[in-house]
Amino acid sequence: MFDRRLVQHINWSLLGLALILFGAGVLNLYSASALRVEGGLTLTPFYMRQLVWGGAGFLIMLLIMIIDYRHLKSLSWYLYLLTIILLLCVPIWGKTIYGAKRWLGLGFFNFQPSEMAKVSVLILGAKVLTKTEDVLGWRDLVKVMSVALLPAILIIKQPDLGSGLILILILGGMILYKGLKKRVFKTLLIMLPLLLPLAWNFLHDYQKERILTFLNPERDPLGSGYHIIQSQIAIGSGKFWGKGFLEGTQSQLRFLPEKHTDFAFAVFGEEWGFVGSIILLIFFCSFLYQIFLVSQEAKDKFGTYLVIGVFFYFFWQVLINMGMVLGLMPVVGIPLPFISYGGSASLVNFCLIGLVMNVSMRKFMFKSG
Amino acid sequence: MSLFNSKKKWERDFGPYLILVLIWGLFCVFGLRLWYLQIYKGEFFAQKAKDNRLRKQSIYAPRGLIMDRKGKLLAINEPSYSLAIVREDCPDIDKTLLQVSKWTGVPFDELKANFERGRRRVKSFEQQIIIPNLSFEVLAKIEAYAPRWPGLKIMVRPRRKYLQGPVFAHVLGYVAQASEEELNKDPELALGDNIGKQGLEYVLEKRLRGKKGLKRMEVDAVGRSLHEEVIRPPQPGEDIHLSLDLELQKKVYELMEGRAGAVVVMEPDSGQILSLVSSPSYDNNQFVQGISIEDWRKLVKSPLHPLQNRCIQSVYPPGSVFKLVVAACGLFEKKIDPEEKIYCSGAYRLGRRVFRCWKKHGHGRVDFTRSLVESCDVYYYQLGEVLGVDKISTFARKCGFGQLTGIDLPHEKRGLIPDRNWKLKRFKEPWQGGETLNMSIGQGYTLVTPLQVARFVSALINGGKLYKPSLLSEESRAKAKGLPFADDIRQKIIRAMIRTVEDDHGTARRLRKDGIIIGAKTGTAQVVKLLSEYEEKEIEEIPYRFRDHAWMASFAKKRDRSYVVVAMVEHGGHGGSAAGPIVRAIFDFIFDQWKRGG
Repeated sequence: MFDRRLVQHINWSLLGLALILFGAGVLNLYSASALRVEGGLTLTPFYMRQLVWGGAGFLIMLLIMIIDYRHLKSLSWYLYLLTIILLLCVPIWGKTIYGAKRWLGLGFFNFQPSEMAKVSVLILGAKVLTKTEDVLGWRDLVKVMSVALLPAILIIKQPDLGSGLILILILGGMILYKGLKKRVFKTLLIMLPLLLPLAWNFLHDYQKERILTFLNPERDPLGSGYHIIQSQIAIGSGKFWGKGFLEGTQSQLRFLPEKHTDFAFAVFGEEWGFVGSIILLIFFCSFLYQIFLVSQEAKDKFGTYLVIGVFFYFFWQVLINMGMVLGLMPVVGIPLPFISYGGSASLVNFCLIGLVMNVSMRKFMFKSG
Repeated sequence: MSLFNSKKKWERDFGPYLILVLIWGLFCVFGLRLWYLQIYKGEFFAQKAKDNRLRKQSIYAPRGLIMDRKGKLLAINEPSYSLAIVREDCPDIDKTLLQVSKWTGVPFDELKANFERGRRRVKSFEQQIIIPNLSFEVLAKIEAYAPRWPGLKIMVRPRRKYLQGPVFAHVLGYVAQASEEELNKDPELALGDNIGKQGLEYVLEKRLRGKKGLKRMEVDAVGRSLHEEVIRPPQPGEDIHLSLDLELQKKVYELMEGRAGAVVVMEPDSGQILSLVSSPSYDNNQFVQGISIEDWRKLVKSPLHPLQNRCIQSVYPPGSVFKLVVAACGLFEKKIDPEEKIYCSGAYRLGRRVFRCWKKHGHGRVDFTRSLVESCDVYYYQLGEVLGVDKISTFARKCGFGQLTGIDLPHEKRGLIPDRNWKLKRFKEPWQGGETLNMSIGQGYTLVTPLQVARFVSALINGGKLYKPSLLSEESRAKAKGLPFADDIRQKIIRAMIRTVEDDHGTARRLRKDGIIIGAKTGTAQVVKLLSEYEEKEIEEIPYRFRDHAWMASFAKKRDRSYVVVAMVEHGGHGGSAAGPIVRAIFDFIFDQWKRGG
């Protein structure tokens, strides 16, 4: 049953890059967990937890690699339904943290169904895409997008605008990859700006506030502008070589908010400077490029779309999070894969890498099998 | 066909191209941004990070202590607690102020207004005082909860305390919160700082204040200090020794309690003041903590004006005390033969007006000495008429009247020595001869301060030197002007003053004391020309505000030490009977102190 050739075809560069990024993340979390108090440093256990979650994720990744991804095609609807049910449970039994109900308590740990939604929407999306024609017309577009719609609305209601948007963006990316009829593409290009004011009205006050603050951080330097300003101070003050590991004053003296989650990259930038940041950026880009390569080598359309989905899953998060930390985008609660602390996210990251590895391993299988 | 094919190919390859562009775009945009933030603006942000965590803070310098001439403490510093806010650390200022309002009972609007007014004076990351001088109950409440309110800090600062309160209030004055204007003028001052506003605290502000120190603190985001380093230690203010004597001042204050008036005790040989009391007084500690509007109103509205320093800020007609000046002037101008006797019938006629002597039935034949001893008005009416206003006023000014004494206290009054020009300017009327007569007995327009009288009497017995009255023990004989007349004239006046005490008819006979040479001149200054209905009445029967001011200007000498005491009791009635006992008690106290070895 188990083909030895599978092991031979393991994509070591992708796995290596993922582990390097994860390692850099844990190392950075170690520093971000450190708080300077009178008389020295104290550590909070975030980096340890990240290690545990990452380890668990790695094991699940191995499991996922074993099962041929083509079975997912038939499982995709069940997975999707399970996700919707879990999402519906959240408002009823969910745990409220930071004023938002996003977590389901599973006894010993809290789980975010929104993370699972990203996986199941991606798989179902890939399946639906394989069944469409070469380029999408209006009907297909609506069909594919509707996969994301219900979970996206449920997630945005939590409220978790970031994750909801990611869902739509992942599918949007996959659709763009597949291609749209020119007419549809043009119409969308024209309509999008018209939709923006409409979308504005759907935003919560705090979300509008964040966007306004992004446009002008100084309008409320202690309130909503604080994150943006402090994050840029942290990164900028790293200068060329950085302040050194565990030496970041911005983070350890608590000027930097959310330093182990959304703004973890700022800690990295402060301590490792321009050199470290650029190297990390290169690793991220190589990682994305490796995923892209796998998508091109996949031997069936489902595999390609699946990997492209994973590509966009990572791409959007890197884009939005780094953009936010670097002050190029408004503050949206999107973590940076591998670098930001997050249990469910770490788990999902490795699951998705497992999917890509899965596709990558089986690129030669079809002819002989 | 080929066109169609290439189109197909473009459509097929669009996805992969898109992805490559996205990856490159991601790298280029973020790479550039990193370059911009970390290299192009790296120095700028590094400085910002430094500002974030390194804060400079002033260290308050203790104000100089004030002691009496024997080193007994009069003004000290004690710790006081203020509530301050650091804007940059405070996530929600309104909410925080609301909480502060709940703790302290100060209305939110008031807090907010004060905060807004003060915020531009406080640099970023500096503490801005919002409630100075916390009471202990409020402090206890706040101390327990303040750590939960980032941005709130409890500051300990030295605060002035006047150990003797009202006894020295007019001399020491007080410190109080610097006003908007004062803050603008002095860059060293910070919001909530106290500075000298009155008295010596005001005059000696520069010496007393000292210099604030500076420390650098490393803080975390909620402003907790992790590490402190003193960059510049504070320089405490200079300690000041007064020439005043605490025990004597207390005694004099007690003697004046319940009366309105002023007492100056001076050491004529040095010009140093041993006691300076103005009654009624006020508690200067009230001002340090910020006086309540209610208390302030009480002080200002009081008919007895407790804030006024009567020794230097109130001017009174000198009454018969002024005869010393007129007498000296007469001798100087050689208009008096001391042996010559003048007849006092109890009245003196000038033109159609009759000027009365205080002794209704007259003194009979009066020579120079007796004119002072019994304070005969007619003698001086006549002398005044001979001298004329010009000579008297010029002479009086040279004796220090109508002039500032230069004492180290703010808002000293000059008093008034009238002359023809003044009258013309003030009333647009020429000087009347009768006014010269009134002036000769110290009535009319002439106004003096008790300190001017004390200085003049001091000059009489110290060899003729008009010293700047000094409140500080370090200063002596700094500035002196000479009296405008020679020693023999001085001696004659001194002798007459001694007779005034020793003679059985002398108006100051109650000062007599064995073994001590005491001289004096009484004065009874009319406030209004007493209505005839009160003329025969006892003092108690005359309404307070119509009663005469009572003066006693005196000196005492034992061995080589001498003292000058001038007492002025407002509306006290007759100089000898109202001011006399006070002066007597002061001399008793001083010479008892000698015996005690003080």
